[in-house]
Amino acid sequence: MEARHIYKTYGSKDALKAREGDAKTCIGAKSVIEAAKDVSLQIRKGDIKLIFGPSGSGKSTFLRCMAMLDIPDKGEIYLGDECLTIPGVDLNKARARIGFVFQHIYLFRHLTALGNVELALRQVFKLSKDEARRRALDALTEVKVTDCVNKYPSQMSGGQAQRVGIARAIARNPDIILLDEPTSALDPELTGEVIDTLRDLAREGKTMLIVSHEMPFAREVAEEMIFYDEGTIVETGPPSLFFNAPNTDRAKKFMTRIINRTTREEMNV
Amino acid sequence: MDVWQQFIILLEGVPLTLSISIVSFLIGIVVGLPIAFIRVYEKEVSFVVDAYEKIFRGVPEIVLLLLFYFGLGPAFPSTFGNAFFVAAFVLGLRSGANQSQIYRGAIRGVGDEQMIAGMSIGLSKWRAIWHVMVPQVFNFSTAGLGSEYALLIKDSAYVYVIGLAELMKRAIELKYSANDVVTPFVLSALLYIAITFPIAFWLDRWGNRRKKKLGL
Amino acid sequence: MFEFLFNPMYQTWIVQGLILTVEITLFGVLLGLVLGTVLAIGDIYGSKPVKAAISVYAEFFRGSPLFVQLFLAVYTVPAILNVRVDHAVLAFLVFGLNSAGYQKGYMKGAMETIFDEQMQAGLSVGMSKIQTLRHVILPQAYRIVIPSWTNEFCSLTKSTATLSFVGFMDLVGAGRSILINNMQILPVWIVVGVIYFVWITAFSKVMDIVYEKKKIPGVELIMQ
Repeated sequence: MEARHIYKTYGSKDALKAREGDAKTCIGAKSVIEAAKDVSLQIRKGDIKLIFGPSGSGKSTFLRCMAMLDIPDKGEIYLGDECLTIPGVDLNKARARIGFVFQHIYLFRHLTALGNVELALRQVFKLSKDEARRRALDALTEVKVTDCVNKYPSQMSGGQAQRVGIARAIARNPDIILLDEPTSALDPELTGEVIDTLRDLAREGKTMLIVSHEMPFAREVAEEMIFYDEGTIVETGPPSLFFNAPNTDRAKKFMTRIINRTTREEMNV
Repeated sequence: MDVWQQFIILLEGVPLTLSISIVSFLIGIVVGLPIAFIRVYEKEVSFVVDAYEKIFRGVPEIVLLLLFYFGLGPAFPSTFGNAFFVAAFVLGLRSGANQSQIYRGAIRGVGDEQMIAGMSIGLSKWRAIWHVMVPQVFNFSTAGLGSEYALLIKDSAYVYVIGLAELMKRAIELKYSANDVVTPFVLSALLYIAITFPIAFWLDRWGNRRKKKLGL
Repeated sequence: MFEFLFNPMYQTWIVQGLILTVEITLFGVLLGLVLGTVLAIGDIYGSKPVKAAISVYAEFFRGSPLFVQLFLAVYTVPAILNVRVDHAVLAFLVFGLNSAGYQKGYMKGAMETIFDEQMQAGLSVGMSKIQTLRHVILPQAYRIVIPSWTNEFCSLTKSTATLSFVGFMDLVGAGRSILINNMQILPVWIVVGVIYFVWITAFSKVMDIVYEKKKIPGVELIMQ
């Protein structure tokens, strides 16, 4: 059963709703931000791709469009053979096949770690209590948070919480996992555990599309890196391309800044 | 009696309704503001203050009105024998208890740093409170105060039980004198809404404008 | 001074009055909670006319005294509709409807505190909006809203003191009946006051304890 996951996205003029916080000079001004201008991306089963770029470039918005958490203004999104952007499509069913990990984690605060992972299994897949519990525990073991199983989100560290978030995303055995800056909201010491988990998932051959700043991780795990700036994909290629000699100027500038900063950080450590 | 005549009669009760609520509100400020600061900045909260808040939160206003007016009125005719006095007394103290809650929340919202800043320039604790905290606390409290004032207007209807001819009493009297159970109550409900609506609205806008001006 | 307390007839009145007060209050806040939740959801998801209708509803019940609404319910409504309805039913209903007007605001505030992120999280695991509302948002909202709900309970209890003025035998009504034959005004009202006080304070304390146990750490209702 070799399913090919082909995502084709043509998102034109995907205008994000106004973000007042960004317009510092004119209070109340509504600026239209174009998060994705005619962006296309394909990702096949087993691929691991990483999107990176300056903040505010629209990467997160684009990723959420892929999961249909934000609806693109124009263009199509395909999950396998199914087109998600046609009106009348059962988005819930589609989203059940997609695993999403949020930057700010967004765990269900009133449930334990186990409850968080079980909820979708029971409500969406209608599994029995025992079956759901088994699968949930499997997922939690995979991300190595078994000591948190009965804890509530407020009792966990950021790293543990995010790993539970990952477990929640993978428990349904989704066709693809989308991760939106999974480590950006965490304290530096805690990012390590999350990155280890992602490395494990990569090794198991899961299909992943990640938006992230974590350059060392990118170099090690990503098969293809995608430089995203101002709403468009500027350049794509294997990590070696970006870390040695990017083609475009924008990519070059961005990489130099990032590498300098990363080297400085590594030297401080 | 036609609708218009009834309306006039009801309308004439509005000034009394308003004056009861305004006086009670002011009493509430005078009582509630100091109590709020005392509870926040002087940790030994006296038993009296605590009891005061508990009583006015836990006993219906109507019972208090009846208690003071009919219970103490005969013994103290010039004060508790005066219906307006009792109305303002009971509702004012009730409002004080509510307002103290509102101000306490606002004090927390303004933050300790303001107090510290005030004291660092040499003001004594209470002068810092007066000059630094109080103005800011009012800014933060507009929403809560707006709803408290609307509450007072509505609760002024309670004073019907001690005989003041404000809006509610007139409506009930019209029920008997005009033998009409529809018009007086519908009209009075609309009148109350007409009074409470603008207040909530304006206070909201005023609060928002001041907050914007101060960049909050 | 307090001899009236030993009179068995007066005792019955007091007890029955208290029971009526408790019944109507509990019915009112619970109906208010359910209806308030429905209204809050309607206010978040509804179309413009729906939102407008909910707005009018809330403005009416929050803008006029419950006292007036009680008269409207018990006298005006039957007259307009030309039907004979049990006054008790009308009274119970009006307390519930009134409370719903306030609780819609509290529930909406509670839901909005967590809405955006928790709805996203719910959708991301494949649940529908309704499922997310039911399993994620409402469970949390109900916990966040407890302090406001307790406040509403206290408020409503105090408002029930108006019942005797439309013909019901509540606690205040018991007091007034006792006073017809009894000259000791102050003691009677003191006793009535104390009974209300004990009831309200005890219930609040219980709800405070419940809140401590059930609250979601780090999340508090942003009072509007």
